[in-house]
Amino acid sequence: MVQRSLAKLFEEYEGRIRLVFKDRPLSMHTLARPAHEAARCAGASGKYWPYHDRLFAEQPKFRRSDLLAYATELGLDPDAFARCLDERRFAADVERDIEQAQALGINSTPTFLINGRPVIGATSIEEFRAAIDKALQERR
Amino acid sequence: MGTAASYSRSVKYLSRCAGRPPRVYYSWIGWIGVTLSLLTLIVAVFPARAFAQVELTWSPSMVKGPSGAPVTIIEFSDYQ
Repeated sequence: MVQRSLAKLFEEYEGRIRLVFKDRPLSMHTLARPAHEAARCAGASGKYWPYHDRLFAEQPKFRRSDLLAYATELGLDPDAFARCLDERRFAADVERDIEQAQALGINSTPTFLINGRPVIGATSIEEFRAAIDKALQERR
Repeated sequence: MGTAASYSRSVKYLSRCAGRPPRVYYSWIGWIGVTLSLLTLIVAVFPARAFAQVELTWSPSMVKGPSGAPVTIIEFSDYQ
């Protein structure tokens, strides 16, 4: 739902917004962390956003075999991807994102910072528009 | 209960009857006011400080849109 809103906003405000994704897997979601690490493995091969979209579409099917299948379907080298996943090559990067989120007091997801202003929860597209318009006005 | 000295701001008055220790009466309304003021201060100051003092870093592959865009949306999310 939120991801669809963001995709629509990205088209509406083309060239005027930039989206940064930060990993904030919650500890109660045991399959989340490997999924976040897998997305970064896909990112290392230039497929971060297609893999990201695929994960949101398929949640919560995040077993190792699922993660490998998504990579293969996106045209990634399955052996290289499996090695990246098994070596947990991006575990420290995911951990760094979690630490930054915790330092900001972000303990629920999704949480957004729109030009530094917090927007917490699954916000409606209208609320997003209002926050973006306000941020654009402040930049003028 | 503490001594009169430790609650000095809330002491309404002392009664001094012969042969008895002084009685101290406390203004609870005063304490409620102080507590509310402190809570208001915490709510007003804490989020602003929390969101202002952390330096964020990100991987270039996890960014979509032009670097010069006037609005940056940082999404903290969980795939699961």
